[in-house]
Amino acid sequence: MGLYWFIVLPLIIGLLFYFSHSYLTRVAVLVAQLAFFILALRNFWEVKQGGMKLEIVGGYDLGVGIALKADLFSSTMVVLTVFLFSCMLLYNLNKSYVNHLFLFLFVALEGLICGIFLSNDLFNIYVMIEVSTIIVSILIIFKKDSQSIYDGIIYLFANLTSMTLFLLGIGYIYKIFGTTDLALLAQMIPLTTDGRTLIVPFALLVTAVCLKSAIMPLFSWLPKAHGTASAPSIVSAILSGLYVKGGVYLFVRIFDLFMPVFDEATIFMVFGFLTAVIGWVFALSQRDIKLMLAYSTVSQIGVIVFGLSLNSTYGYWGAIYHILNHAIFKSTLFLTAGIIVDEYHTRDITKISGVMARMPYVSIASIFAILGITGAPLFNGSFSKNLIEKGMSDSLVFELAFFIINIGTILIFIKYGQIFKGSSAKKSHIRWNQKFVIMLLALTCFLMGIFGPFLIEFLFGFETTVSWSAYLTKFLIYGLTLACGYLFYRVVYLKVRLFGYIQAMELSFNEIIMAIFVFFTGFLILLILQT
Amino acid sequence: MNSGFLDGTLVALALFAIGVYGLLARHNIIKTIMSFGIVQAAIILFFLNINYTLTLSPPIGDGSNMADPFPQALMITAIVIGVAVTAVGLTMFMSLYHHYGSTNWVKIQKMRKERK
Repeated sequence: MGLYWFIVLPLIIGLLFYFSHSYLTRVAVLVAQLAFFILALRNFWEVKQGGMKLEIVGGYDLGVGIALKADLFSSTMVVLTVFLFSCMLLYNLNKSYVNHLFLFLFVALEGLICGIFLSNDLFNIYVMIEVSTIIVSILIIFKKDSQSIYDGIIYLFANLTSMTLFLLGIGYIYKIFGTTDLALLAQMIPLTTDGRTLIVPFALLVTAVCLKSAIMPLFSWLPKAHGTASAPSIVSAILSGLYVKGGVYLFVRIFDLFMPVFDEATIFMVFGFLTAVIGWVFALSQRDIKLMLAYSTVSQIGVIVFGLSLNSTYGYWGAIYHILNHAIFKSTLFLTAGIIVDEYHTRDITKISGVMARMPYVSIASIFAILGITGAPLFNGSFSKNLIEKGMSDSLVFELAFFIINIGTILIFIKYGQIFKGSSAKKSHIRWNQKFVIMLLALTCFLMGIFGPFLIEFLFGFETTVSWSAYLTKFLIYGLTLACGYLFYRVVYLKVRLFGYIQAMELSFNEIIMAIFVFFTGFLILLILQT
Repeated sequence: MNSGFLDGTLVALALFAIGVYGLLARHNIIKTIMSFGIVQAAIILFFLNINYTLTLSPPIGDGSNMADPFPQALMITAIVIGVAVTAVGLTMFMSLYHHYGSTNWVKIQKMRKERK
């Protein structure tokens, strides 16, 4: 089966069912989706057995036709994409706002995200991202609430601005190398004698990719888009869990591509650290539970970028594994938060209590995900964070930086965990499909932790071992960090005014654009000074 | 296009800068969308100037000394996307205007905060 089916098939499924509007349609889409999941698994298996697949649609030469490439990393991401979309469609089987238009857009988005992961040509990546940006902004404003329209329009224009920079960068690349194909570029770039010719296109591409993956000064669109009040919770889950990973994926690809000429690992380690810290400080300042989760995504992106820039194989694969883990636990958290918001009719964390008594299943799923994200031993976050830590080669500065990031994550979720306490007289009924999906995702969090060493070898061929004695120390360290976090939360957090000020901070549209160009100019100057 | 001092690439970059100024400094949403149009035009001009000299003929049919067809093919796609983007942007703006009754980014942001 050709790789292009992964992009075309969702569009066909969406179009076929666009014309009928019944409950059965949704079930049919779901069945088609499950078949699609099996195809994705088969594709992964073929890549694992037969090595990288490269195909050119239409049979043209390399560099002229549309090239699609599936290696282990991209086919794993495709499997993840299809898995999450299947879960979301099952979750939303009974929602009233799901009509034919929503289903079409949502399923089309799946194809486009697969396209981002599979494309091996800069211009195709541009097209995929641009179209998916439009679809995402429509999905954000789907319920037509005035707040979400503002958020959607900010999201649309901020992302479009960054993509114009990306396109200009592609223009420069084509001008220099005469191709936009990543495989050909990978052969040509190491032959560059004068690195200065590549400064402008590199800075343009990196700025766009950094905005897409929400790195430090360029993240202000993310909480708006992911945490907006009335966006359907499955859209928030997909955006935060998966779509932002498209940016991180490109980050990995672009940096690998330019590695022979520019080595910016140190700078991006700093950026990753700052993103992680600023992310948790903002998250801790919020009172809206969806916004807290959205800012925590920023923080986790920081962790991933930090791990990728460590210049060690452990850190690299740890960060890649963290991409998968984050997709699972963040979508669980967004789905459960959606249920909680629907039940309590408020997003204010101070007004929600007694979730544990009222909705035990939802609480258990959330707690599993929280254990995952905070890095509790045996859960998935712990395994990937441990690998990143292993990649630091016992440098004290890195360890300290990583500790600060971790304690921040724990603080966010100590605050978030307050909603589970308390009692509630009412019992809420949750539909079987929603219960099934959140429990499945929560279980995946656990399984990905237990089978971490096995999975990472199976998926990426990277071998690592975890001894059982290491688990004991991990338990101790986690317990200590938890205690520190709780003390900090009780003693310091509640008394500090700073968080109140941060909560009120918000960039206007022009300031967001300004941030993009300041970042671009700064990065350009840095590159010029280096070479 | 490549005659004397003002070549196409330079004009494209100047247009790009004008568009960017519009995005940075204008509070009016309509002007933001117009600035996007200017930036897109700049990028199209930039692409078409790659490998171009005045003596080249259009890349249609059999002929010698033809212009590079690749950037032109890319730009057809970019134009289509540009149209879609403008349409979606304007639609979203209309809906925003119905809710807030203003075309100003800053005013809308203020109103949004008050309504929270």
